[in-house]
Amino acid sequence: MSSNKDISAPKIIKERGSIHPINHLKDSIMDLLVSFGFEIVDGPEIETEKFNFDMLNIKKTHPARQMHDTFYVENKSNLLRTHTSPVQIRGMLEKRPPLAFISGGKVYRKDDDATHLPMFHQIEGILVDKNISFAHLKDLIYKIVHSLFGEDIELRFRPSYFPFTEPSAEVDILSSEGKWLEILGCGLVNPVVLENCNIDSNSYSGLAFGLGIERIAMLKHGVKDIRDFYKSNLDFLSQFK
Amino acid sequence: MKIAYKHLLEHINEKPSIEEISDCLFQLGHEHEIEENIFNMEFTPNRGDCLSINGLLRDLSVFYNINTNQEIYTDKLNKLDIDFENLSQDICPQISFLKLEIDSIPSIYKDYLNDYFKDLNLNKNNFFTDISNYISYENGQPTHCYDANKIDGKIVFKELHADQEFETLLEKKINLSGKNHVFLLNDKVINLAGVVGGKETSCSTDTKTVLVECAFFKPEAIIGKSVKYDIQSEASHKFERFVDPESQEETIRRFIKIVEEHTNIKDMSLITYNYKKNNVITIPVKTNVINQIIGANISQDEYLTYLSKLGFVVNDSNIEVPSYRSDIETQNDLAEEIARVIGYDNIARNEISIPKGKISNIYDIENKLRFFLLDHGFYEVINSPFVGIGSSNSICVDNPLDSNKKFLRSNLTQSLLENLLYNERRQKDSIKLFEISDIYSIKDNKINVSKKLAIIASGRAGHNYRDFSKKISKKYLDSLFRESLPSENFEFKVLSRESLNTKVKNEIISCEVDISNFSTDVLSYSEISKPPESFIEYSPISDLPNSIRDLSFSIKDFKELDKFKKYILEFKHDLLKEVYIFDYFNNEKNAEIKIGFRFVFQSSDSTITETQVNNIIDVIIKHIDKIDGITIPGLN
Repeated sequence: MSSNKDISAPKIIKERGSIHPINHLKDSIMDLLVSFGFEIVDGPEIETEKFNFDMLNIKKTHPARQMHDTFYVENKSNLLRTHTSPVQIRGMLEKRPPLAFISGGKVYRKDDDATHLPMFHQIEGILVDKNISFAHLKDLIYKIVHSLFGEDIELRFRPSYFPFTEPSAEVDILSSEGKWLEILGCGLVNPVVLENCNIDSNSYSGLAFGLGIERIAMLKHGVKDIRDFYKSNLDFLSQFK
Repeated sequence: MKIAYKHLLEHINEKPSIEEISDCLFQLGHEHEIEENIFNMEFTPNRGDCLSINGLLRDLSVFYNINTNQEIYTDKLNKLDIDFENLSQDICPQISFLKLEIDSIPSIYKDYLNDYFKDLNLNKNNFFTDISNYISYENGQPTHCYDANKIDGKIVFKELHADQEFETLLEKKINLSGKNHVFLLNDKVINLAGVVGGKETSCSTDTKTVLVECAFFKPEAIIGKSVKYDIQSEASHKFERFVDPESQEETIRRFIKIVEEHTNIKDMSLITYNYKKNNVITIPVKTNVINQIIGANISQDEYLTYLSKLGFVVNDSNIEVPSYRSDIETQNDLAEEIARVIGYDNIARNEISIPKGKISNIYDIENKLRFFLLDHGFYEVINSPFVGIGSSNSICVDNPLDSNKKFLRSNLTQSLLENLLYNERRQKDSIKLFEISDIYSIKDNKINVSKKLAIIASGRAGHNYRDFSKKISKKYLDSLFRESLPSENFEFKVLSRESLNTKVKNEIISCEVDISNFSTDVLSYSEISKPPESFIEYSPISDLPNSIRDLSFSIKDFKELDKFKKYILEFKHDLLKEVYIFDYFNNEKNAEIKIGFRFVFQSSDSTITETQVNNIIDVIIKHIDKIDGITIPGLN
């Protein structure tokens, strides 16, 4: 067998594993946002309707609250969070502005096809301070998107609708094939949400954004079927090291 | 919703191109695709007011001069004598009924009505239903047409709490269950309110006397019904998103006008019930607040002009929100209106200053463990939390996507075991996986959470020639992990293969540890490898089986050794997936080196054949055969 003195022996290549590409991308984006000044906060995946919906101005009649969109557990006493926003609500209840939080993790919705899964990952951020405007939000989003896709990437903002932000926007990037691809949602925090968290909306305003990690990972790595991320196939995972 | 470019253009004086309208729609936040001059619109759920030609034109009026020349019947109408009781006035605060009889059913439609069906490739039903569908497209207000001769008693609108079978006009039988707002005729459901009418009272191609019902229903009474009963309904799509609560009588009068344009009306009468006046929302004019929200600097004149064009009634101090805009209540809502009109992309960036938050260390230990495992050849996986078998403390999902997976997993090891078996079936002979995840359980009605690290490994210790023949065992992992993290206890154990459907005999070693059990000593581990900094372009993987070939070489002339190794390790072929040295022996006494190479072949489109593999191997052998001092023992 080989010996230390054997100069002809082939080099032993120690095999490395890999961090899951979704966690790797999540960590990269979290690191980027921390470098901007955001503080990481964490929260439970099993939530109450109060934190997942009510505090976020998602009315009882909103379709997202229906049984066909949200997983409820233990006789509807709780639910699997549908977004990471409740973590920010908990953060805002604990800390007074100015504040800048991010949270990342698993979220759950009743979807299952080539581009949607019942479990996926999000990163959301919130910033509350005096005189925060939509123009500030645009600046932050440009910085995030340029860091992720390069300074040359073309992006556009489209009006959208989220109950917890007003105005709301979705942001698209222009792909190399000339197609606009949606990558994140954002907006100014709805004053109702600030008031729900005991923050005076006449004195403070805020911005918020949310990114779906799988969607960005599919774009960055060229993965066509979201389910490939979760087959635990070593041929797949070994490509990300 | 499909809207024809041609139908919009008829009302826009400037006659813009389809591309120009498309750009305006995107700026206003109305996503769409264009197919053969049809806009396939996808409106956000707060913009129910846009679900019609008129609704979209109202928004486009900030860019163009709009002319909606839709006439309505303006003459006084007789009061309809109808036996109707509304037992749910809160849900239906406005409703109109029109009874109308015509002389004859027209065989030809006017161009505008005909074009609606032709341009959108829709099927006609019967005269009255066709008008009802057209008006819903034109102004967004659904109406329902009953054959008046089939209405022979009292109509009651109420929330029904009893189960009842109901056959829709689409001839689909549904079992109404739970609470549903319905119209009843003699205690029998004739209409699932806001969703679909019943077959028994529907109009036919012979209907000459119609009873038209036009109502406002609160969205909460309608939401979820079409999904629950699996009914595709244009009406429910609109009612769920809020229709104009002040448009009912006007819609009826438009209905009459269209009928009148097609045939002679023998008799008609109308009744409108307004149980509750619609609240008019007014918002004070605060241009400075709007500018502050957007980060822009528009004048008050400009601001109010934009709002006027969108249908708001404005004066110097107040803004009156039109009845069809249920989404507007606050200054932020108005700011969004203005931002849409200016164009989000035309709002200049303003440099943001973010207050520095404290650096969190909540993930430090788990991240360090990740790097440690990465260094030791482990791959991180992420598994779904939904499992079929639960324990007494498992959390139960009330509405699982798959009824066979109605529990949240109470451990990670079972998922990892499935991952391991999956990879074994894919002919993997060295499998090392780990997962870090929260695990939830319930005890005494309290939900508990803990963060776990689980590891599983089986097969060869590695593919390099030093580890190829070593098998992963408890002893092997204990020793490997103790060397780097001496103070941590991973508690590896051997999992039995007895109940597993596999022929592989390798030991399966696993552990599952609460992250909180690890000490801060973990943080002193100095990682060797880091994840890649740039993004890797993924190559699609094949699900077809591998074919493996081993070649062992005897080398007696060492001067060609490096060149020889390089040739083989860098040999490229579409079907060659991997090549590595699995064996090496230097027999100094005989001055001979023996090297074994393993070739792994796989095709992406068909099962690889012996001949394909042999042909590639032949190319390699022929090349090596030319090198002096290197032979393949046993090869003739």
